[in-house]
Amino acid sequence: MSPLEIARLALRNLARNRRRTALSLAVVAAGTAALVVTAGFVRFSFDGLRAAMIHGGLGHLEIADAAAAAARGAALDRPASPALADWREVRRALEALPHVTAVGANLHLMGLAQSADGRSVSFVGVGAEPDRERRMGFEVRLREGSDLPAAAPAPGADAALLARGLAESLGVRAGEVVTLVATTPEGTLNALDVTVAGVVTTGVAELDTRFLKLPLASAQRLAQTDSVSNLLVGLDDTRATGAALAAARAALAGRAAPLAVTPWSERAPFYGQVRDLYLGIFVFLGTIVVVLVVLAASNTLVMSIMERVREIGTLRAIGTGRGQIAALLVAEAAWLGALGALAGAALGLGAVLGLNAAGLRMPPPPGAVDPIDLRLALVPEAFAGGALLMILVLVLAALLPAARAARLAIVDALGHV
Amino acid sequence: MSGAVREAPVFRVEGLTRSYRVGDADVRALAGVDLEIGSGELVVVAGPSGSGKSTLLHLLGALDAPDAGRVFVEGRDLATLGERQRTLLRRRRLGFVFQAFHLVPVLDALENVEYPLVIDGVPRAERRARAAAALDSVGLGERMSHRPDRLSGGERQRVAIARALVHRPRAVLADEPTGNLDSGNALRVFELLAALGREHGATVVVSTHDPELVARAPRVVTLRDGRVARDERRPEAVS
Ligand SMILES: Nc1ncnc2c1ncn2[C@@H]1O[C@H](COP(=O)(O)OP(=O)(O)O)[C@@H](O)[C@H]1O
Ligand SMILES: [Mg+2]
Repeated sequence: MSPLEIARLALRNLARNRRRTALSLAVVAAGTAALVVTAGFVRFSFDGLRAAMIHGGLGHLEIADAAAAAARGAALDRPASPALADWREVRRALEALPHVTAVGANLHLMGLAQSADGRSVSFVGVGAEPDRERRMGFEVRLREGSDLPAAAPAPGADAALLARGLAESLGVRAGEVVTLVATTPEGTLNALDVTVAGVVTTGVAELDTRFLKLPLASAQRLAQTDSVSNLLVGLDDTRATGAALAAARAALAGRAAPLAVTPWSERAPFYGQVRDLYLGIFVFLGTIVVVLVVLAASNTLVMSIMERVREIGTLRAIGTGRGQIAALLVAEAAWLGALGALAGAALGLGAVLGLNAAGLRMPPPPGAVDPIDLRLALVPEAFAGGALLMILVLVLAALLPAARAARLAIVDALGHV
Repeated sequence: MSGAVREAPVFRVEGLTRSYRVGDADVRALAGVDLEIGSGELVVVAGPSGSGKSTLLHLLGALDAPDAGRVFVEGRDLATLGERQRTLLRRRRLGFVFQAFHLVPVLDALENVEYPLVIDGVPRAERRARAAAALDSVGLGERMSHRPDRLSGGERQRVAIARALVHRPRAVLADEPTGNLDSGNALRVFELLAALGREHGATVVVSTHDPELVARAPRVVTLRDGRVARDERRPEAVS
């Protein structure tokens, strides 16, 4: 009996108890759809997390002095010594590379912020280049006031963006003046008056209590340096990170003071753990779905075999081989898996599109500040993988009952009522 | 061919014994049966209900194995055959007809008759033609695309006969094939089996307790309590 004939006969057999077949298909379809939607949610969460990190201040690549980079851990808010003196040449080299949208310089600072009425709060600050950050797609989440101007401010016209927790502690609003005090590389103290241009959120609750941002020129005035701490490279496509990393390393090789080029994924705080957590949740849900489908499917498969014991006996009597019987029953299960998965893929597609169209908002993820719009991703691998998984699961569920049916004693099966 | 090499009988059984365990007791369905059935013979196995007719036919058809004794089909000892070889023997050398017809409900008449050729890998065009011819020969050429539930009992059994003969077996084993039919249909089915067996040169073994059929058989093996009580040849009987 050719595989085609087995497949045809199996399909006929599924048609004989339409209600039960429809029920099995519904179970498989629901399972597939659940996998597709869950994968869409996980992908959405990953992408959101990644974008938030990259466009929230990490950039795709970081270029820093190798010695300075090795001396600190991975965190957004740590200070780094202004170790890059020739950063303009380095930037020129990097901005010539493919996929690079812009390279922004950062100067990290730590110090004390004081309000006019004498309140003082410690801050972590970054001097940055708003025009380049805009080209890199960095987000500024303003709560009040306005963004930093694109052009470097003249001396005496310094401005800053304060994170909302910091502004609250200081009791200042946009338009008011605060005094920043920081240590210079020589170890002396220096102060700078800045106008609060706006109040922002970093998106990270903890960081919001201490963070401020000012133009690079202002930060350099405060720290009395012409160097920067690091350069951030923005790319037009996150998928090009690996290629850009290699290109940047090649372009910067052979410098006297070696530079470290680090991709965003190695710098993102907790990214690895969060990803593992989401993957763990996905695997856990997937396992539950598979177990439910196996339980429901093997039950109906066994029932459909029990109803046909006499027929199986007849087929065996007139010369059908054990392998042919088993293949027929397994083929029925494979059909259920394939047809159910097809229906499930359609269902999952509909669910993803429907949920996205509904414009749902998710509460802010742990540690984050803003609610997020739900935009489930369509993950092609989840459709293909879910379908294959369902066929596999159904086939596995059918193996044992099919093997049993193939081994029935013929005379007993013929007499079975 | 010279007659020097004597052809082995289609069936030969020696000291056949088969018991069933029912509760604490052993029920002896066959208690030492010896029998030979030659090529092209039409044999009726008669006897009251419970005399062991079905058990004998199951053993002849390699559907079951005896407790003691031996079964030879075309000279081959079934005890020496493996599962796969017994399957092939049933598929290619034997045909079966059952009291309850046992057609496959999801297949139409033509597909049911075609089935033995499908499992044997006969090409589609050839097996379609052969199945159609077999259905014609049982007078159901007009009913090819009917599923079993749209056929009468007599028609179903005729489809079953076509299925049992389509692969040109050496022998057909029919266990009470008329047991579920009225007397008119019973007679027709029996005559059809006899005629087609003769036409194909196939040995036909029919079990029945219907005296009308017994009266028409050229050879009647009568079982009683699992033994051969009588083995009559009546060359004058014309079925
Ligand atoms: N599977 C079985 N289990 C127990 N007893 C059986 C079984 N099959 C047949 N028998 C017994 O064996 C005897 C012969 O049965 P069977 O060969 O079916 O006779 P017949 O076909 O002539 O009616 C009967 O007593 C019957 O009850
Ligand atoms: Mg019987």
